[in-house]
Amino acid sequence: MSLFAWVTLGVGGLTLVLGLLLLIRGPSWLKRTRPIQLGVVALSGVATYKLVAFFAIAALPVATLGAAHVELLEGAKSVEACAGCHVMWPMVNDLHDPASDSLAARHFKNRYIQGEECYHCHSGYGFNGALSAKLEGYRHLVRYTTGIYQEPIRMRGKFDTASCLNCHEGTRPFEAINSHHVASERLAEGTMSCTNCHGPAHPTRSERTPGDAHYQGLMRDPL
Amino acid sequence: MDEEQGEAGDSSGGAEGTTSFSRRDALRIASALGLVSLGGGAAWALLEGELAHQPAVSWHKSVCRYCGTGCGVQVGIRDKQVVEVRGDEDAHNRGKLCIKGSLLPVLNTLPGRLTTPLIRKDGKLEPASWEEAMSLVASRFSAAIREDGPNAVAFYGSGQLYTEESYTANKLFKAGIGTNNVDGNPRLCMASAAVGYTRVFGKDEPPGAYEDIDHAKVFFLAGANPAECHQPLFERMLARRRADPEVRIVCVDPRRTMTAEYSDFHLAPRPGADLLLLWSMAKVMLDEGLFDDKFIAEHVAFRTNEGKAAGLEELAAFLEDFVPEDVEVQLGISSAQIREVAHLFAASDATMSLWTMGFNQRVDGVALNTTINALHLLSGQIGRPGATPMSLTGQANACGGVRDTGSLSHILPHGRMIAKAEDRAEMEKLWGVPEGRIQAQPGLHAVALFQAIEEGKVRCLLNMCTNPGQSLPNLARYRDAMDKVFLVVTDVFETASTELADVVLPSALWLEKEGVYGQSERRYQLLEKLLDAPGQARSDLEILVDLAARLGHEQLITAKTPSAVWDEYRLLSAHSKYDFSGMTRERLRAAHGLQWPCPSETHPGTVRRYIAGDPFVPKGQEVRFYGHPDGRAYVHLVPYEDRSDPVDADFPLVLTTGRIVEQWHTGTMTDRIPEIRQGTPRGHVEMHFADADVLGIRDGEQVRVQSRYGAIEGPVRVTRGPRPGTLFASFYDAKWLINQVVCDRVDPLSKQPDFKTTAVSVRSVSA
Repeated sequence: MSLFAWVTLGVGGLTLVLGLLLLIRGPSWLKRTRPIQLGVVALSGVATYKLVAFFAIAALPVATLGAAHVELLEGAKSVEACAGCHVMWPMVNDLHDPASDSLAARHFKNRYIQGEECYHCHSGYGFNGALSAKLEGYRHLVRYTTGIYQEPIRMRGKFDTASCLNCHEGTRPFEAINSHHVASERLAEGTMSCTNCHGPAHPTRSERTPGDAHYQGLMRDPL
Repeated sequence: MDEEQGEAGDSSGGAEGTTSFSRRDALRIASALGLVSLGGGAAWALLEGELAHQPAVSWHKSVCRYCGTGCGVQVGIRDKQVVEVRGDEDAHNRGKLCIKGSLLPVLNTLPGRLTTPLIRKDGKLEPASWEEAMSLVASRFSAAIREDGPNAVAFYGSGQLYTEESYTANKLFKAGIGTNNVDGNPRLCMASAAVGYTRVFGKDEPPGAYEDIDHAKVFFLAGANPAECHQPLFERMLARRRADPEVRIVCVDPRRTMTAEYSDFHLAPRPGADLLLLWSMAKVMLDEGLFDDKFIAEHVAFRTNEGKAAGLEELAAFLEDFVPEDVEVQLGISSAQIREVAHLFAASDATMSLWTMGFNQRVDGVALNTTINALHLLSGQIGRPGATPMSLTGQANACGGVRDTGSLSHILPHGRMIAKAEDRAEMEKLWGVPEGRIQAQPGLHAVALFQAIEEGKVRCLLNMCTNPGQSLPNLARYRDAMDKVFLVVTDVFETASTELADVVLPSALWLEKEGVYGQSERRYQLLEKLLDAPGQARSDLEILVDLAARLGHEQLITAKTPSAVWDEYRLLSAHSKYDFSGMTRERLRAAHGLQWPCPSETHPGTVRRYIAGDPFVPKGQEVRFYGHPDGRAYVHLVPYEDRSDPVDADFPLVLTTGRIVEQWHTGTMTDRIPEIRQGTPRGHVEMHFADADVLGIRDGEQVRVQSRYGAIEGPVRVTRGPRPGTLFASFYDAKWLINQVVCDRVDPLSKQPDFKTTAVSVRSVSA
């Protein structure tokens, strides 16, 4: 479990405890005339009620929600999160297949990307990249939960070649190939895809169609 | 709204001062939830909308325009323009292309297209109408035929024409006009491979398929540079090696090519001596007991160089001349390496050889082709997945369009030979022409054709879809010849050949016409018409049909559309072992290519020939080389003779030519694509450091390359590419015609010229 999952659990648990405390002891605090000694400070009963109420009803729930959101957004980066939907199983199974020659599997074998492999290639650079990846994930979620999709799924829009170039451009093996220089402008503006020569990145749609020899193996539950 | 406010008022009044959960609170929560889901829904709709808003592109299956790999592509079209080309994931190339294929979207938008017929008047090409141009062509051809007989005219075609076009031209000239002067660029490209396969298996075209790459353990790449010239196939070999660390790639090339860089072994023979390598490998196999005796006994026969039947004893005696230690100096490869590679080749679970122009464009091209096949037969490396001898082709439709349709001067459709009376008689019957219409003598092969033109024996030449003005060897001589003949050129751009033409006919380009391409592995693929040709440009088929009518052969050329021609040609194949009568237009439209034999409409096509599963192998037999009546494949004991252009004190170096990945053939298309033109160097010659040192030549200097045939001046690049003693140049630069230096010696059997071993001298001409 990640740090933010623990924080969510901790803060959420504390909210529950304080909420129960407020329900059970709250009425008696309100009637109380003597101050209540809380460590070094003494508070009136009403003030104690308000303080606990503030944490139990406002501050801690917001913190819990915040932590949960961070956990959700961070967790969505994981390969397991993607594998949560069965339509992504072929991609995940292929990723981990040492015999596969898809771009995804080759990157996995190389171990240059360690963890969050799906997200690593499918998110752009910086805040905008992260945001659009999340929005895309949100779009997937809506479609999946409402069942508005067709199998085998296809990528909508275009894969951003910048995700490839960020790592590869400038490396010796990349620069040694003259064709990369011939194509450099088109690769940069995205009018030519790296997968044209090096693809496919994942199992093809035909391989993800029932009846294909690869279908059974690709549709195992990877989790 | 009113009702809601009223209720809210009621409940707020009633709830004053209490802590109970009111209807008003419920409404608040409900509307908050509603707002949130509305917002979520709107966000989703926006996200979907943004994608849907991207302009609609319609995708169409097609085939790359360029090389013999024949990659499947998906063409994205918007507003009648190609906006993107991607590899077809469901084709044999699994979505992979090379840089040329990736830049295909530019091809049909290039400026400078020929859009109107041109006729040379007072030395200048002037625009003319189709009627004017075609009646001039017809009258000149008719006059030549009337006055000097049918052999006074000739057709020079190309492995870039669609199958329907080559078939129609071949039929018109051989069965209509009555001349076998039908040849073309494929003579310069794969004639040796075709003759080699025919001598070994009795039938042309490879036994295996690209799919064998996925199963091979050893790749023996000789005289090929697939990393540049058949890039998606090399990518597939690298994928195979990544999947199985025991896979080895052997590269035999006098040049340290990109292929050599990625190979496990690079053997650099002295140019012209590699037949010694093949036979010495056979010698090692024999001595180390690596022959597959059972396979040889059941399926192999031997022929001496004189064509006499022989046996293993004759082979053993013949191989005495090829002891590795005896040939290593002449060959330029150490005996230890010969032994290692021979062992690797014969002992592996599955060895796949791939070769191309390094073996084909040679004076001993047929010998190299029959011997590489022999290595597979002797070691039993054939007929299993991954074990196969595979000749790669240079042009997109050289196999399907030219070899299979028989559009060369010595052959007829589907493996029939001009020289065989029964083959001619059968074709005359099938084509419905009188007996004896097809001449008994083979016509002129490419080099002989241009020599006959030089002598004035051939007066009219129809040149379609290729550029001999840049691609012929000994070019200056044959350009002079082209200038003399009445030359008709069909092309899409001005080329080194149109500048010599008397009539230029503008033709339709890739995607602007419909037709079939057949690539290296017997796979036929349909290219549909997706765009309109610019101006008045017409498909080559339309031009041929028009010419046929004008020459009085309307009764013969009755199929006038691509699909009508295809049906005629497809049904013709049922009378041969090529049988692809099951490949209907509809099937080709749906399939990502089909491999022949494919004798019925339900037949899936044949991946590997001559083994169980091939429709022509009798049931119950595992292997049968049915091309020969005895069902065997032949090993030809062809001795090594150095017939190459002689290297001597005056011409001490060897010039070899080839392609680079970005450019294709004579660059008429690729060198016009701005990215490629800017990204590739202009014509130059590559030289090894050691030679440069001896000759005192510096990198970038202007040098003069002189051969017995011609000379050229240009910059030199000093590299570690070619082995010492060897120079390399590519032929795509139309402003730097290296082929005027290249010798025009031909293989005695295939008549294919040798572009790989021309003796030259080099000196600096820098001031």
